[in-house]
Amino acid sequence: MGSLEVSALSKQFGRAPPVLHDLSFRYEGPGAVGYLGPNGAGKTTTLKLLVGLLRPSRGHAYLNGVDPMVDRKRALWDVGALIETPEPYPTLNVHEALDAVGRARGLSRENVDREVDRCHELLDLPPLGQRIGWLSKGQRQRVALASTLMGDPSVVLLDEPTSGLDPAERVLVRRLLNQLKRDHLVFMSSHQMLEVTEVCDEVVFLHQGQVLLRDRVERVAGRIRPRQVDVEFERPVAPESAAPLRGVATEVAVLSDRRWRITFDGSDETRVRLLGLCQGLGPVVQFANTSLVLEEAYLELIPKAPNET
Amino acid sequence: MIPAQSDPPGNAQSGAVPRRRVSDFDQWRTVTFLQLGHYIRTNRFYGLLGFVVLISGLTLAFEADAGVAAVQLQQLYRPSEYLSNYLVNTGLFVVLAAAFFGGDALSVDFSTGTGYYMLVLPIRRPVLLAGRYAAATLVTLAVVGVYYVFGAAGAVYFFGAPSVPWSLWLESLGVAILFALAALSVAFCISAFIRSPSAGVLVTVLALYVGFATLQATIELAGFEPWFSLSYAGGAMAAVLDTDFVHIQNIPLGEDQYYTIWAATVSEGLEIMAAYVAVFLPLSAYLYQRKESTG
Repeated sequence: MGSLEVSALSKQFGRAPPVLHDLSFRYEGPGAVGYLGPNGAGKTTTLKLLVGLLRPSRGHAYLNGVDPMVDRKRALWDVGALIETPEPYPTLNVHEALDAVGRARGLSRENVDREVDRCHELLDLPPLGQRIGWLSKGQRQRVALASTLMGDPSVVLLDEPTSGLDPAERVLVRRLLNQLKRDHLVFMSSHQMLEVTEVCDEVVFLHQGQVLLRDRVERVAGRIRPRQVDVEFERPVAPESAAPLRGVATEVAVLSDRRWRITFDGSDETRVRLLGLCQGLGPVVQFANTSLVLEEAYLELIPKAPNET
Repeated sequence: MIPAQSDPPGNAQSGAVPRRRVSDFDQWRTVTFLQLGHYIRTNRFYGLLGFVVLISGLTLAFEADAGVAAVQLQQLYRPSEYLSNYLVNTGLFVVLAAAFFGGDALSVDFSTGTGYYMLVLPIRRPVLLAGRYAAATLVTLAVVGVYYVFGAAGAVYFFGAPSVPWSLWLESLGVAILFALAALSVAFCISAFIRSPSAGVLVTVLALYVGFATLQATIELAGFEPWFSLSYAGGAMAAVLDTDFVHIQNIPLGEDQYYTIWAATVSEGLEIMAAYVAVFLPLSAYLYQRKESTG
């Protein structure tokens, strides 16, 4: 099964501060790892170092145990990578663009066609005879994703895989990634917490080139206590009825005659009391966190820049 | 998913789709066909081909309009002289083709999304370069070939097929092929060095067409043979057919003063071109191998 590893990996461009500093981790498939962090944290740089698009200033990166700086062909042999915005030549058609990838990865003509058909079905690709230059951004992104999957590599590296996709396409890709992680190692950077929550088993939080936290998603979720819930009543409730809640909650905002947003200290105790008080005002149809647990974790973990409020 | 205790094999594969080991040669073929498929659908290919057809067609049309007898007289009744004069523009077309197909051949990987498509494939960079070089050579030869075919057609029309020196025509085409390889080597080197594709094309045209010619003229004015200039070596393409070839020509300027002009002999031209390929192609590969995708 595929693996990836970075060992004491650092990257510095000229005299600028290091983008990555002494990064070390190792994952072996199957499974999915979410690589999270703000813009500029070093996520894409890590992926580029893994596939040999950048040279490390110090340390090493390995794909399936092979350093791409030493043997690029062997390191990338069983790896599919979607980094930044890949663009096949606009003059080629979809089939030609995928055919070249399949052949480079050692597929026979017959298997190339089989793989193209498989990807066509999985990703709802545009007609195979259509030129890349005529495709929409989302279609091009799906073709790029298909090229990543050609030949069924054991390691799949993805940099913002759903960027540029519409909601239906995102759902399609999330489903695909959930299938893929059963027998592949999927390592993906993303800002989409819903995507990471639904797909990933583990997460790595990166900030200013250093790992802040690495853990399984459920353990990260266990540490975080969301401090805001949205309540929806079955029938309209008068705003004055919120008075009893104000002693327990930090803030109660009336969003509509049936929906309130309650901010509190995040403890389970207070959450139970608030739910009870709300149920006392009328039937409650929804009592849910306003944000995803991973999003809360992200906001809690990633320090704000000095000029941020 | 836990940290593994031992390194997995380097070529571990999930195994769902059978894959065979693919040689560098097979990958080179794949890249060549991919690149060729791209080049022959670009506007620049059709534009350049149209330009060659236009220039060649107009030349022949004007000559035909002047009449067969006038052309024969002008070329001293020698078809080789006719071809030699006609092919004097080959260098320009080779330089334009080299710039159009080589000037951005490598820089596209570092300034557009093409690199994120191609450089993440399990292909060694020298193999990628070799495939692109082969494709660029083929399209350059297509352009030059059309020009040569027009030349041959003119020679047949004005002098008759039996009197055309076909072996010399082929020899000249062979020299043109080597000149194309040398020009493409320089273009690839510029492309590996400069990040912007359009700047790469422009710098290649300026270097190969203006730069070398200016340098050559300056060196000749100083009284030295410009043996290092690629444009000087390019003269060998027409020299093959030139029956009155003169290597060194002294033009008197006054009392005891001469202006010397050198023309490359065929062997000298071939040596210079081969040297350019031998120096610039490996240098391109080295620069390309070292280049990072920082954009």
